[in-house]
Formats: sequence, structure tokens, C-alpha cells
Amino acid sequence: MRKLFGSTYRHAFLIILSLASVYPVWFIFQTSLKTNKEYLLNPLALPLHPVLSNFKETFTSFPVAHWALNSVIIAIFSVAGAMFIALLASYAMVFSKMRGVNFLLSTNIALMVIPPVTLVIPMFMLMVNLHLINTLPSVIIFYIGLFVPFSVFFLTNFMKSVPYELIEAAKIDGLTPFAILRRIVVPLSSAALFTLMLVNIIYAWNELLIALVFLQQQESRTLMSGLSLFQGRYSINQPLVMAGAFVSVLPILLMYIFGQRFFVKGMMAGIGK
Amino acid sequence: MINGFKGKSKARVVTTAAITAAALVATIGLGTSTSSAAFKSADVNTGKLVYWFWGESDIPGSTAWMQAAIKKYQALHKGLTIELVPQNSDTLQGAFETTAQSKSGPDIAMQWATLPVLTPVWRGQVSSLKGLVAPSEMANWLNTSENVSGGESWAMPLYLLGQPFVWNKALFKKAGLNPDKGPTTWKEFLADCAALKKAGITPVVMGDKDGFFGSWFQGTIGTQNLNSVKELQEVYAGKAKFTDSKYSDYLTKLAELKAKGYINNDVTSIDLTQGWQAFAQKKGAMTWTTDGNVATWIKAGMGADLGVQSVPKVGTGKLASFYTATQSISAYITSWSKNKQAAANFLVWLHQPENVKSWYTATGSFPADKRFSATLIKDPVMKALYKLNTLPNQLWAQNYAPPQVDSQGLQPAAQGVLAGTSTAKQAAAAIQKAIDAWRTQQPKDLAAYKKWAGV
Amino acid sequence: MVLIILLVFIYPLIAVIRNSFYSGSISNLSFIGTANYVNLLRDEVFVHAILNNIKLLLTVPITTAISLSAALILYENIRGWKLYRVILFLPYIIPAAVVGLSFSYLLQGNGILNTALRNLHLNFAALDWIGSTTLSIYSIGAVIIWSQFGFGVVVLTASLLSLPTEVSEAALVDGATRWQRQRFVIIPQIKETVQFLMVLQAITALAWVFPYIYTITKGGPANSSMVMDLYIWQYGFSLGAVGMASAAAVYLLLLSGVLIFIYSRMRKRQSDI
Repeated sequence: MRKLFGSTYRHAFLIILSLASVYPVWFIFQTSLKTNKEYLLNPLALPLHPVLSNFKETFTSFPVAHWALNSVIIAIFSVAGAMFIALLASYAMVFSKMRGVNFLLSTNIALMVIPPVTLVIPMFMLMVNLHLINTLPSVIIFYIGLFVPFSVFFLTNFMKSVPYELIEAAKIDGLTPFAILRRIVVPLSSAALFTLMLVNIIYAWNELLIALVFLQQQESRTLMSGLSLFQGRYSINQPLVMAGAFVSVLPILLMYIFGQRFFVKGMMAGIGK
Repeated sequence: MINGFKGKSKARVVTTAAITAAALVATIGLGTSTSSAAFKSADVNTGKLVYWFWGESDIPGSTAWMQAAIKKYQALHKGLTIELVPQNSDTLQGAFETTAQSKSGPDIAMQWATLPVLTPVWRGQVSSLKGLVAPSEMANWLNTSENVSGGESWAMPLYLLGQPFVWNKALFKKAGLNPDKGPTTWKEFLADCAALKKAGITPVVMGDKDGFFGSWFQGTIGTQNLNSVKELQEVYAGKAKFTDSKYSDYLTKLAELKAKGYINNDVTSIDLTQGWQAFAQKKGAMTWTTDGNVATWIKAGMGADLGVQSVPKVGTGKLASFYTATQSISAYITSWSKNKQAAANFLVWLHQPENVKSWYTATGSFPADKRFSATLIKDPVMKALYKLNTLPNQLWAQNYAPPQVDSQGLQPAAQGVLAGTSTAKQAAAAIQKAIDAWRTQQPKDLAAYKKWAGV
Repeated sequence: MVLIILLVFIYPLIAVIRNSFYSGSISNLSFIGTANYVNLLRDEVFVHAILNNIKLLLTVPITTAISLSAALILYENIRGWKLYRVILFLPYIIPAAVVGLSFSYLLQGNGILNTALRNLHLNFAALDWIGSTTLSIYSIGAVIIWSQFGFGVVVLTASLLSLPTEVSEAALVDGATRWQRQRFVIIPQIKETVQFLMVLQAITALAWVFPYIYTITKGGPANSSMVMDLYIWQYGFSLGAVGMASAAAVYLLLLSGVLIFIYSRMRKRQSDI
């Protein structure tokens, strides 16, 4: 009897959490299907006559597709760059007999704590002087720099659990360090690498502050900073703004729904200890 | 999913590809101005202009009109492209300041008249119109004096904007008030509010999440104990204190409105345009708005119910008889633009008689040009607004506050009062603090301000 | 790796410290010594911002508690736990800008939440979530909790699942109740993960909340929900007072440094045990 009671409470807790998790996102979707008139009359209820016109208008009133492309390019290149650097750095720190590794790791943690906003102004001026402002590389470089500390932290943590005997055996077999990295370490860490990649992609896609400041011109904006423009412009047409918001979330949402199995697996491999 | 990092050589290839691609993207991004300065062709109207435009909040429909005008102009000048980039109200100043720091950005930008234009001017971010626009053309523009500094004109007006006090006649009637008579003194105003509240109607409906209402209240109610614009400039230049009641009494009145429940209870959680939306939905009886919104409401069929006038008289200074109007948003050419003459030509073209007329027909708001004929205005409410806009004494006080003082002083202080957490006295002190902070942090702007104001 | 760290971290940090001794806008600097640091402490808004960031740290234990409770329930193999995990992670992947947008409508004085509460005759609970100067920062805190708890759920579930089952089974045999089992056996084993999680969330609350504030309240009303990273952005970019912004950034760094120091002390003490 007690067990059943406990079970109901637990289910209830989870259900409430789940509803709370989903509703705000659902609200965006639901509102985007209403005409402005309908929304003003009845903001809460389900749309009686759902329309798709808001989505159409989203794409015609602002270069949303172009912005999405910018976001994609930035996400791919910044994550690729950061992962590459972090992979090499972590491998070196864990497996080669470098001196001062602990010092580097502590510094690394300190870097993770630095809030990006403190770096933005000087980086902005630097990019201006390099004539890179309003170009995608300015943001890509900045993101790479920001992602590396956390990636190194994550990867070194994981690589420490790779049994050293394997490495030694490979060394005895005469493999070069790079071959060891490629043939042994990377395959073993593939789940962790995958997770890290997804976390970084999510961050790059969702980032607002830097994108807002570094990319102000119409053609170089990302989807997130474009959304804020959208919001200001159409503040009295809530359904339209919500349509824009939904469109900006859609790629990540799709990626999540279809890839969540892999994602969770990777998280478990990378964190579980 | 594929993990593409199997091996350094492959990673190297990826990185090289990445850098190459990034470089490509950089070149695409950098090479926006195609012809520009290098192209000394006979026709100066070639190349690309980027125009950061703002106007929709004042005048709904203005963006669409501008886009159509650009299309027309581009057809007349085949080598020229103009890119219109609509701006948000709450980042209008911030976005320009940010791009100005990179000394790149739009060719034409817009800011509200006087201080919001002059601050970039004093920081060297604006090109003077002297030499770019013929004086005979400029002579047709109205209210250009609002953007004069150092004897030169720096920006072009587009339209005249008044800030009428509007009431809903039908709701007035419902509360037993005379629908054709708006409140003309503070006492009458309070009485009307009381009657409306009794009838279950929200007396005043505004949105202040974005802060502008605080500045507007100061501009319309808060300047009425002053005798000249110079007195206003003195408080910003540091020659007078804002805590002096002749400057800050309006905060007491704002607090009174809040305390008596005469203003909508969600005023601090909705923004300006949403507040107007609420008025249009008849959720409140009185509001402060702009001509353009009145025009929209007339189009939506509310015309018969709208009463417009200047705000109630609450003070005894000479400025109490001034109407709050301005040429509102002003267009200027940036100092880094590579196509200054082309930009100037486009701006001048916008003021040609046929465009002036089409602006009025499309938006219902008043062009800032002598060549606009008032006989075109047919609607009685709009006629009344036009009359107000062309009164000899005008002042949009918010425009005389340095932008920093406006956004860090006037606006948050009013929000504090409307949220019920500051007293009027505290709010006034906060504004004075903001003025002092500006004077310390921007000494060069302060010096320029003093010179311009002659204080 | 060193190169990129230098570029993205070291150079800006030095520049920020240098800039903090100047006033005026970036093209117009004039040296004023330590005046910025003094003025910041005198600026009520700045002090309030620091206090707000500290208040936001309150979200850390709350988020952790929610994540932990949910994770423990999921760990016990409740029916449909995989589905719950997917749903509960959803808020985390939604970009902060979109989260902010949705909640700014949901939390308006006469917005969705209050309308729903009033429909349920719970009028007393329909407070002015974002329009009140006293509530605004807490409402933001609630949004942050909503957004972040999912991450903890997935991480902790992963951690729990990787625990050897013999220990908890042994406890069961010994007659321990579920609560005793959880408290004395299971939780201590994942202590390190929980700590790691809490540090990450603390870092977020201190320095990565910009998009939430920017989209929901912009620091208002009356600067009641101002936080340090918004303050830096406002002064550095909107108003062009680079010196003030840089000095504020230095203060923020100091605060983060203190946090890291506490954390490393904690870890050191742990490894000494």
C-alpha cells in the first residue's frame, strides 16, 4: 500500500515537471498558429482556425533563411575548430609525459569561469582593427576560444579513464603517438566526443550576446540575434513573433527529437563516474 | 552519427578546409560596398547604401512606404541599391553606438531629433549636410532647427510628430462625462479619472516596460513649470538640480496616479506598443500616443470615438503652453559612408512634392515639408492634430536629455514610481544621480552640450 | 592551443584592465585613474546588480534539488522513465532568447499565467511577475531554473546508472527504508557529480544570464532586475562608456575568482580525506 502511494506521488511529481517543461514551448507553437485577431481575443485556448500565414510572413519579412545559414556555418566551424584543438590538447595532457600538466589543468578550470561578457569589449575592438567585424570568422574565432576550456576539461576527465595498459601495449607495438590517438583513444572516446560536440553546437546555435554585438549587419546576423530584431519590430503581432521564435528553434528541436538516443548515451559515457 | 575525428590527418584536412571556407566567407562579408569610392563615374548615384530605418512605432505603415519608395528610386538609378534595415525602438541608440565603435555600418541612419542626433554628431559619427544638400532644398524642410549645432544642419526630418493626449469618447460617455471635453487642468483630470474608475473603466492605459512613457510624462507634464528651453538645458548641464521641484514635481503627480489606481495595473510589464494596443481594444479611456497611431485607429474605425488635445495644464511656466511635437526621427549620413552624395541625393528625393504627398496618403501622418498642402487632410481628428503640430511653440523635451540620462535616469525613475517602489522624492534623486554620472563619464559630450546650449 | 587561449583570453583581459582606468567612449578615451572603480561602488544600480547575481545563486540549490529528485525517481526504473527523461531535457535545448520571449508573454501582468490563475479563482497568486521591482529578479530566477534543471536530470541519471548495484542492494537486505538508502548510500556516491553540477550552475547564474534578462525585462523595471553582465553590455555598448564597463568586468572577474577558489578548496579537502 505504501509503495503504491509513494509511486503515485512520484509519478505526479514527474508529470507536473513534464507539463511545466513542455507548456512554454507548446505555447510558442500554439500561438504561432493563430491570427493576431484570434490571439487578442483568446490568448490561452487552442487555435480554432489554425493558420500557417505567420510562418510564411516570417520568411518574407526578414532574411530568415540567410540568418539560419549563418548560424549553421558558425556552429559547424566553431565546434569543429574547438574540438580539434581540445582533442589534441587533452590527449597531450593525459598521455604524454608533459611537465606542469596539473598547472595547465587548474588554469583551464579558471578560464572556464571567466564570463564571456568581460572579454567582449576588447575582442570587439580587436576584430574592428583586424577588419573582421561583421564577418562570420570573428564570431567563429571567439567561440572556438570560449569552447576550448570546457572541452578540454570534459575530455581530460574522460581520457583519464582509458586504461593506460592499452596505450603501453600500442607503444610497444611501435605505433606513433598520432596513430595511438587515431586508432585507440578516439574510438574509445567516441561517445564522449559526440556528446561534447552536441553541447557545443547547442551553445553556438543559441548564443546571443556575442552574435548581437559582432554581427550587426543584415546579411551577417545569426538567427538568434535576428529574432530579437523581429521581436522589436512586430511587438504587437505576438503570433508572428512566436512563429519566428519557433522557426529558430526548429533545427535544434528536430536534431534533438531524432538524435536524443545517441545524445543520452554519449552523456552517460562522458559523465558517468 | 559520424564522428569525424578519426586521425590527425583527417582533422588537418578539415581544419584547412575550415580556414579556407572561413576566409571565403570573410571576403564575402567584407566586400559589401562594390563600386563606392574607387568608381569615379559620372553618375554619383551608384553603389550600395545601407539605410537603418526607424519609424513604424510612430507611424505604422512607414516601413512599407519606405520600401516602396526605395524600389521606385532604384528604378530611376539603375546602378544603385539601397538596403533598408528596420531598427527596434529599444535598441535604436544602442545599436548605432555599437556599430559606430567599429567605424563601419550604415550609410544613412536615424535617431530622434536633437540630443539623440547631436550626441553622435559630437562624437564625430555624422557628416554635416552642408555641401551635400542645396540650401534651397533644405529651406523646404520643417523643424530643421532641432538638429543644428555649430551653425550647421546635421539631419533631415521626415515627418512631423505630435504627442497628443487621446481619450475614448464612448468610454467617457459611459462614465457620465462629457465626451467632447477632455481634461484641461490637473484637477479636472483627477476628477475624470475618478468617474471612470467608478464606472469600472481603467482611466489611463499605458505600457512602460520599455521606459519611454516615463520620458514622455516628464516631457509633457514635467516641463510645465519652466519658462524656457534654456532652463531645461541648465539642469542637464549641471547648472540646476533636478531635485528642485520645478523640475521634478511631475513625479509626485505620477505617484498620485499610481496610488489612486488611475493607471492600468500591468503598466510595468507591458511595453509601449502593447499599451496602445490595449487602448485600441477599449481597455482604457485615456492614453498618450503619437499621430501615426491615431491615424491607424481612425482607419480601424475608431475615429468617431477619439478626442485629441494637448495634455492638461498643470504648471505655471511659459512652457506650459507648448505642445509636445517634433520632427521626431531624423535621418543623417554617417561620417564613414563611402557614398555620401548618393545618400544625400536619395534623402532629398524623399522630400520631393510627389513623395511628400504619397507619404501622407499612405500613412496619414504629416510630412515635415512646406510643400505639403494641409488641404489634403480630410479627417476632422487628423485636422485637429495637424493644427496642434503647427502651433508656433513646440518642444519635445525628451530630446533635450542626453540619451544616457534619458535611459538611465528619466526612464528607470518613472518605472520605480509606477511599480510602487520609489517615492517621487527618491525618483528625483535618482535622476539627479544619473545626470551627475553622465557628466563624469562623458566629459567631452558635456563640453559639447554646454557649448551648443550656450549655458 | 596556447595561441588561441592567448588571443581569446589573455589579450582581452589585459585590455579590459587597462580600459577600466579610462572614461569616455572608445574613440574618445581620457584617463581618470581609479575613478571608475569608486563610482561603480557608489552606483546603486551596480551594487544592486551584484546583489541580484548573488540572489540568482539561489537557483543553484533549487535546480539541483529538482534535478536530483527527478533523477532518483527515474533511477528507480519508474514506468516510462526514458520518455520522462526526454521531455525533461527539452527546456535545456531551447535557446535562452526564445525562452525569454515565451516567458515575457506568459508572465505579463495580465498574461497567460495570471489569466489561468484567475480562471482557477486563485487571484491572490496572480502577482505582477515581471512588472514588480521586488519580484522581477525572482521571476528571472524561476525561468533560469526551468531552463537548467533538465541538464542536471540527465547528468545525474547517468551518474546513478553507472553506480555498482551491489551496494544499494546490500543496504536493502539490511532492512534500510528507501529514504535511508537514498540518503546514506546512494547520494554520497554521486557527491562529486553533484558538486560539479552545482559549480557549473553557479557559473551560469553569475555570468551567463544575459539572454534571459535581455529578452524578459531588460533589467527593469527601474533596474530592479539588473545583473552584472547586462550592466557591462549596457555601459560598454549601448552607452559607449567603455571605462565603466571594463571596471565592472574586473569586479565580475574577481567575484568569479572567489567562487573558483571556494570550489578548489572544497575539492582539495575532499581529496585529502
